[in-house]
Amino acid sequence: MGEPLFFSAQWADAVCGALTAGPSKEHRDGKLPEYWDYFELVKSAYPASWALGCRDLPAALGKCPAYLTVRWGGGSVTECQITGPDDPLDATYVLGMDYDGWRALHDGYDAQRTVMYRKILLEEGNLLEFFTTIYFFVECLAVIGTVPARRPT
Amino acid sequence: MRLLAHAVLTARCEIQGGALVAERKSPTAVLREGPRALSEAQVREIEEADLGSVGGVDIDDVIEYVHKDLKSLPDFITLYRKYLKQRWDVYDLDFTQDKIDWTEKMSEEERQSFIAVSSGFHHGERQVEIELPVFMIGASEEEKLHIAAQIEDEARHTVFFDRFYREVVGLAGDGIMDILDASFPWVSETFVGPFGLLAYQADEVRRNPYDERARVRYGTNYFLWIEGVLALSVMKVTLSYARWRGFLPAYYAGFTATCRDESRHVQGGMRYLQDAVRKDPSMISEIHDTLRTILSLSGVASRRIYFEPLGWTEQEVQTLFFQQLRRKLNDVGIDLPPDLEVLLEQVEPTLAGG
Ligand SMILES: [Fe+2]
Ligand SMILES: [Fe+2]
Repeated sequence: MGEPLFFSAQWADAVCGALTAGPSKEHRDGKLPEYWDYFELVKSAYPASWALGCRDLPAALGKCPAYLTVRWGGGSVTECQITGPDDPLDATYVLGMDYDGWRALHDGYDAQRTVMYRKILLEEGNLLEFFTTIYFFVECLAVIGTVPARRPT
Repeated sequence: MRLLAHAVLTARCEIQGGALVAERKSPTAVLREGPRALSEAQVREIEEADLGSVGGVDIDDVIEYVHKDLKSLPDFITLYRKYLKQRWDVYDLDFTQDKIDWTEKMSEEERQSFIAVSSGFHHGERQVEIELPVFMIGASEEEKLHIAAQIEDEARHTVFFDRFYREVVGLAGDGIMDILDASFPWVSETFVGPFGLLAYQADEVRRNPYDERARVRYGTNYFLWIEGVLALSVMKVTLSYARWRGFLPAYYAGFTATCRDESRHVQGGMRYLQDAVRKDPSMISEIHDTLRTILSLSGVASRRIYFEPLGWTEQEVQTLFFQQLRRKLNDVGIDLPPDLEVLLEQVEPTLAGG
């Protein structure tokens, strides 16, 4: 069976586990402890949800646009699932990225530059509010990129 | 040890009366001196220096010059005409001596501190170059000229760092992005705060180019924060180091000329914000909201940068940083509400610029 398919329900479950566990020790070791204290502080009270869309998901992976919906509450992930174009879109922040951007992130491209180079973009939600916790978002995006998945070649 | 080197250097410089530096004061002297008065002759020297003579201009005078016109801001045609006189050719710089200084005279600690600061600029210049074009769409005809000039300035600043990293630091790569990739490991994780925000604000302006409120939020981040506070503070750190030690003459000349370009950008940006608030006083809330987000991010650091080899402490950089912000806000007439005053006290500088 091996790795789940990218943007599948099983992959979303694995993402949920990875976000709950948080960044790896190697990743944490490269940055100041105060930075991670801040990360944990934001995480403990983060009230919002993200719908992270793929605008042009290949047909082999499902209908598009598809969204990885991540809901936070009480310091943990309360919902992490794939929602399709026919499901209601209910998230504080809706973001979108092309499949190329997702693929690059999954292959290890830097999450900070994924945001800064506008590969992933905020499509709905208050921009200034979203950015008050941008370091938390970027670190979570990096975690999502590390979750193993199979992709069609 | 450093004091001794300083004394030797001072003596050598006085004997030679070199073109690069006429005066050797401590890099942080400006923190104690406070605002300085520029004579007409000094202003003329700054405004008219070409690339060959700009190396003799004191960086503290150039930073003072940024503030000179903030109380009565020049119009965009005046700024455009200054640009036409002040633009310089980045390919005229000769980095031969800089390479010798970098490899033979600077210590490993100095190189690491320097590169930790300059990498923020390398990426910052590129970011402000590519995010500016959308702001031109909704600008007045006169401001369009100034923005077109500024885009060219920022492109030139990007090439300046590309050349510095290739020819002095020794990074290798075919294209501009290869060199950006190579210097990115020195860029702090918190860089995405102001520069990611700018990218998303540029996208907001792209979607609604005539939305004046979105433009004011963008302008607050770009011109007031990134250029007016971050860039000018951190420019000063590397430039005063180079001047103090008598190192990196082409870097000093090119980046001092860059600082003079930034003075036009900051003045143009402050003019834009001031005009927007005069036209519609409720715009002040967009400036405050933007500063609230920026300040709440700026207290977070992911790496410790050691400024000491460059002659600074973190505390001194922070003091410089506050001075820069306060002066812009006071000169342009932007008051802060109490919650922002509190946030401001918790801020640490992000090492970047544009
Ligand atoms: Fe600039
Ligand atoms: Fe610049």
